Amino acid sequence: MINTEGMVAETAAKIYTDLCGREVPHEAEAGNYPQTLWDALAENGLPLAWVSEENGGFGADYDEVFGAIWVSAEAASPVPFAETLIANWLLDRAGITIPDGASTFAFLEGKTASIPFAEPAGHVAVYDTGKNEIALYKTADASAADGQALSPDSDRRLDFSTATPVASAATNLSRRAVEALILTVRAVQMASAIEAALNLSIAYVSDREQFGRPLSKFQAIQHQLAVAASESAAATMAATQAASALARNADDPEKAWHEAVVAKVQIGHSVEAVTVPFHQVHGAMGYTQEYDLHHYTRRLWAWRDALGNEHHWSKTLGAELAVTSPDQIWKGVTTGAWIAS
Amino acid sequence: MQRFNFPVVQPDPALEELRAELQTFLREEREAGNFRPEPECWMASADTEFSKKMGKHGWIGLTWSSQYGGHDKTALERYIVTEEMLRAGAPVGAHWIADRQHAPMLLEHGTEEQKLDILPRIAAGECYFAIGLSEPGAGSDLANVKTKAEKVDGGWKVNGQKIWSSGAHICHYMVAILRTSPADGRNRHVGLSQIMINLSLPGVTIKPITDLSGDAHFNEVYFEDVIVPDDCLLGEEGGGWKQVTGELAMERSGPERFLSSYITLETALHQLQGKLGSDSHARLGKLIANLRTLRGMSWGIANLLHQGVSPETEAALVKDLGNRLENDLTQQVRALLNDLPEEEWSDEMRRILNIGILRSPPNTLRGGTTEVMRGITARQLGLR
Repeated sequence: MINTEGMVAETAAKIYTDLCGREVPHEAEAGNYPQTLWDALAENGLPLAWVSEENGGFGADYDEVFGAIWVSAEAASPVPFAETLIANWLLDRAGITIPDGASTFAFLEGKTASIPFAEPAGHVAVYDTGKNEIALYKTADASAADGQALSPDSDRRLDFSTATPVASAATNLSRRAVEALILTVRAVQMASAIEAALNLSIAYVSDREQFGRPLSKFQAIQHQLAVAASESAAATMAATQAASALARNADDPEKAWHEAVVAKVQIGHSVEAVTVPFHQVHGAMGYTQEYDLHHYTRRLWAWRDALGNEHHWSKTLGAELAVTSPDQIWKGVTTGAWIAS
Repeated sequence: MQRFNFPVVQPDPALEELRAELQTFLREEREAGNFRPEPECWMASADTEFSKKMGKHGWIGLTWSSQYGGHDKTALERYIVTEEMLRAGAPVGAHWIADRQHAPMLLEHGTEEQKLDILPRIAAGECYFAIGLSEPGAGSDLANVKTKAEKVDGGWKVNGQKIWSSGAHICHYMVAILRTSPADGRNRHVGLSQIMINLSLPGVTIKPITDLSGDAHFNEVYFEDVIVPDDCLLGEEGGGWKQVTGELAMERSGPERFLSSYITLETALHQLQGKLGSDSHARLGKLIANLRTLRGMSWGIANLLHQGVSPETEAALVKDLGNRLENDLTQQVRALLNDLPEEEWSDEMRRILNIGILRSPPNTLRGGTTEVMRGITARQLGLR
């Protein structure tokens, strides 16, 4: 279980409960951005939770902040809370001054990258794998490609080839360290969204009647949701193991890479296994914009693709395991220690 | 709010020492030719000599008091022992069931005399128990049991039949759920009791059932006017249903619900290290990620049990996911092996893979079918 106790998570929970009711994600999508929600998060310093005290943040433990991320995904956050946390984590580690307001991030392997929240986020923190550099851009300075976004989070493909950074610095953060952080944040968001969509589905089938009784009384429906519930529990376990690995290796996030990849693979594969029954039991209602389900399912579809989909990561993990001894693999499975010490 | 309670618990260095000891023992036993690894070893590979060796090492009866021949250790140590046995495909079938569920039952409900007599023999790997739940007319519908125990002077007279009793032909006792009084109208859960039956008593007949591969590890057990002493009633007369539900939660939560086929993968990995192509990398990565996640869930449950919590729904979830994974593992290994010309497969590989395929159907049946597990989960979700 992701721990949602503690100051950071409880503050986030209160803000999301007060300012992000079920209508808020709908209104955000209709163009009415919930600035008051963002302002409340910012006033409480939450987007700076992972920033060191020297750089104006409060250096919170990984654990506490993952609870807040869980809460934000449960509320289908229409503001880039988790994304700003990642951006500020990168900038802090490069010694770059944290800009005001919401930010987003990119993992750049060439000139273009898919960026969540490209509209409301004023800045984008870019980890450039080629240059081993972290750079801060104004989002508006990169050019956006035309296309159909998967998620409601105005994700866009941005091209940085002609943009000039506001600041940049070489980094000794390894690619795997950055991947560990981003994949773990996404894993926590996905596990939370899966459970929220499960809860919506349970409520819907308990209420909706056909053939004179609630859908929940049909065994075919019960079993579909029981399977989805087991996938949901597995997703939460994978996310929690990844979060816990990061917390244990706060000084060297690269050591949490395998557990983060395991979570991405596990949950990425779960997404299809849960979104299909969630939509199926909702019937046509789940396909409408009016209803809430898509706030979760569209984000799940986008998040499973972000930074490489589950097939890419299965292959990456498998390629490494294919040359690892069976003893070491067993050690990884049973203890989470994936590398010989 | 999170629906399910799966704590993430870090490995304990002291437990890792125990693991190393087990691995050394298993490697030596295997290299000495004392056992041949098999999938589903806890159900279908029984070797009484091997069980006695484990008893000598103190690896049976870990959790109970030394007063009764146990070793005063925790459920977590027991978990490490069981998962290492499963990984090795060791022939642990003789003592597995007694160690897992009947010894704890005796500790809770047995007389002092029974505990002093039977528990040390279980811990020594010398005394084995069979499960007495299923009957020809009572499978998933367990409350439909018809085997009866009637009160007679000084004991119970048992008549009827149990079926699918694994290992009954080498077992000393069976704990059976029996009807001791009639159902109360439509409520069939009343009037059921658990009774321990010495299988050497007159009137007990054990007939082997041969499985589709030709193995005969399960049985029909007939009872004809078998007189069982009074003190063999375990727990409350009429309280059998509730006791069985608790027993099943325990039975469903162990690593044997997702690691039964691991030996197939382990054997293949030895053959395939460095030889897999990129399609296989994706299969392997996914499979290992699934295994790591299930291990986390299963270890979380072990820790809850260790704290005295009985997580019935979590156990049902892990059993459903784990049984699917066990069967998927065998299928994924079949695919991985395409990267090696068949003539290069070791005989051992072929033997283990084939046994794994032949023994796969009961994975999703025993201990409660997939459908029953999903029913339990659905009830917890508030759908029934």
